[in-house]
Amino acid sequence: MHQLQTRREWLVKTGSVVSGAYLAGNFPGWAASAPSAPVAVGKCGTYAAAQLLPVLDKMFDQLGGLGRLVKGKTVAIKINLTGPPSYRLGYSPLGDTHYTNPQVIAAVVHLIGKAGARRIRVLECPWSSADPVEECLLQANWEPRDILSADSHAEFENTNYLGNGKKYSRLLVPGGGLIFPGFDLNHSYEDCDVFVSLAKLKEHATAGVTLSMKNCFGITPATIYGSGAGVDEPSLFPKGGRDMIHAGYRQPSKSAPGEKDPKSPRQEGYRIPRVVVDLVSARPIHLAIVEGIKTMTGAEGPWVRRSLTTVSPGVIVAGTNPVSTDAVCMAVMGFDPMADRGTIPFETCDSTLRLAEEAGIGTRDLRRIEVLGIPVKDVRFDFAAQRVRR
Amino acid sequence: MMTPWTPMRWPSEWKDPALLDLLRDTPFDYLLFDKPDLLPAVINEAQKRGLKASGNDSIPAAVTIVKGDWPGVKMTSTGMVDRASAGPTGAPWVDSNGWKIRLAAALHPGGDIWVDSLPQKPRLFAESYQIGIADAAAHGGRWIISIDEELAAGIGNRKAAALATWKKILAASGFFAEHRTWGELVPEAVLGIISDFTGKNEFMNQELLNLVARTNQQYRIILKNVVNPSAIRGLKAVIYADEEGPSQDVRDQILVFVRAGGLLITGPKWGQLPPEAVAAPNHPRYLMHTLGKGRVAIAQPDFEDPYIAANDASILMSHRFELLRFWNVGAVGSCFTMVPDRKRAVIQILFYAAAYFGNPTLRVSGRYRSARLWTFDKSEARNLEIENHQDAIELHMPPVSQYAAVELEL
Repeated sequence: MHQLQTRREWLVKTGSVVSGAYLAGNFPGWAASAPSAPVAVGKCGTYAAAQLLPVLDKMFDQLGGLGRLVKGKTVAIKINLTGPPSYRLGYSPLGDTHYTNPQVIAAVVHLIGKAGARRIRVLECPWSSADPVEECLLQANWEPRDILSADSHAEFENTNYLGNGKKYSRLLVPGGGLIFPGFDLNHSYEDCDVFVSLAKLKEHATAGVTLSMKNCFGITPATIYGSGAGVDEPSLFPKGGRDMIHAGYRQPSKSAPGEKDPKSPRQEGYRIPRVVVDLVSARPIHLAIVEGIKTMTGAEGPWVRRSLTTVSPGVIVAGTNPVSTDAVCMAVMGFDPMADRGTIPFETCDSTLRLAEEAGIGTRDLRRIEVLGIPVKDVRFDFAAQRVRR
Repeated sequence: MMTPWTPMRWPSEWKDPALLDLLRDTPFDYLLFDKPDLLPAVINEAQKRGLKASGNDSIPAAVTIVKGDWPGVKMTSTGMVDRASAGPTGAPWVDSNGWKIRLAAALHPGGDIWVDSLPQKPRLFAESYQIGIADAAAHGGRWIISIDEELAAGIGNRKAAALATWKKILAASGFFAEHRTWGELVPEAVLGIISDFTGKNEFMNQELLNLVARTNQQYRIILKNVVNPSAIRGLKAVIYADEEGPSQDVRDQILVFVRAGGLLITGPKWGQLPPEAVAAPNHPRYLMHTLGKGRVAIAQPDFEDPYIAANDASILMSHRFELLRFWNVGAVGSCFTMVPDRKRAVIQILFYAAAYFGNPTLRVSGRYRSARLWTFDKSEARNLEIENHQDAIELHMPPVSQYAAVELEL
């Protein structure tokens, strides 16, 4: 497993080398030199703990062991509870379609705890809500105790507002960022030693795919980046979604860093991939886990008006480099991680992976990524073919 | 409430007594006339046909008229959902008369409640009429059927579109006439709202009723002068938001409830807590205390926004205890009632807007052995398959619109 760096260490190291090329948005050299890290692929047909735990355990071992990463550390896990808990795809439970499944969350919490984490903080910005995450889970028909009991050091925090912090944490983007030079976030994203993105394997209506990096779009508090955010200062409580970031029709609360160039394109397919790259630059991911045991095709949630289906790819992908991890996920989905705007799944958007590679976060080139465990061809579930048929 | 009458406001444009034929074999049995002096022939003919007829000022003594709103999702004049009046979560604003009916019933026990509200543009669709009828009936009242001028003219002239709407109005009205005994069932509740609901306590407490209902928390109205053990029995929480502290007797009753494990949500006007109350970790808007097996949440500095207070109540109490939970239903209202022996329950569901998705799903706390679905468009109930969960059942319904009732048996 790669050497763990704190966010500050990472900033110091990369800030000195991320330079004018990044700012100019043109990085021919970065793609070849972007870091790579091994990615583990596991096959898992069900959410039963008896099957799930050994698969995840083995995958983490293949990556070098969780202990090196989390022992004695405060670990923050960003899960994916996108959209209101009152939407289902058909009659399917949310964890089988577009939310990170609670059994996977519990299993990851358990294994991180077993590996010696001092504190495990499960984080999410639930849709338009300052309610405790536990209450959102109950609304989703989950039992939060199933997750909390997975390790005695586990706890939740809703990061969609100030939460338990006294002030928002300002996390700056090394090199100045593509859209935003920095973000004001809930303290939890700074007050952690290890940051885990625990995502769902899905397509995305705007960004093509949503994997470990796109999951971090949801770390932005709606009090500052939501449609009902305060103009000058953050609102006390979140209101609405993040369509401000999507479409750029307004700026975040003035107390937070504004856009670098308010005249840049207001097109979602341009903005979202760049904001995601800014976010994962400002808040680096130490461990990316993408769960695709059961999921959906067609989009990121049931509210998208497309042909959507529930599917069971039976796969989990994990790695310490989010770009490489997402690249392997794309390959599992039958997509080409080297694809660019105009080709599936990026027909109308830029590739978040390409932008992240150019930002020096990691490589998306499968030739440079060591895949451990199950070969991609053995777990490939052809989202791409379904997308073409649509 | 048995709601013996199905009232209708006779359109002033219908001057021909022959139009009473429209009411043949319909549930309408009470006609209200805005200006009875102008339509004596119609009134005479109505009475000959066995219909009750009166002016607005001579309704039966047992009837309480509630001035209501035209129920449904609030829309702009152009027919768009009115986002400007959406709640803090962005959820659309819904007008419903349910809480008004239930409050009137609490204030006038044993009587009938009629809702007087006129259809409002732009919601003049057949479905709007159905929701108007269902919103009142599901809460134990009756909407005084009042059809807009254009529809009245269309029906009078036997226009196909107008008659189709009329048919839907009859279907909804007939449904509730057939199921009038549902009005005798007892509302289930987890949250009680204690107040006199008048004077300076009127705004906050009536809005709490309105907005608690929007969260689909099943609530009980408890008049401050009838607080007793049976009024609080079975609840998980009570809200006391009156401007003045409770009487000693009411205070004692509520504190017994708290010590036994209940939650009291109140404001600083409550006054001092008993000395054994222990401060607990605070909520952003409440000072929390434990007392016996229960908790007390004191709003600080005081209750301000009833919308926030209503939503806070569901969180302070926890969604864990909610009796009903919905998926894929859009703006929904509900009323969960049960027979006194608790062997049969009826859940009435109001779909104030067209759901975005099919596949509406309902979770009901508790265990039941059968479930049947009633809708306006089917004369017979359909069996629903029950998916058993821990301490709850889940029901997957076919696509439904405007109204559905689920009849459950233990």
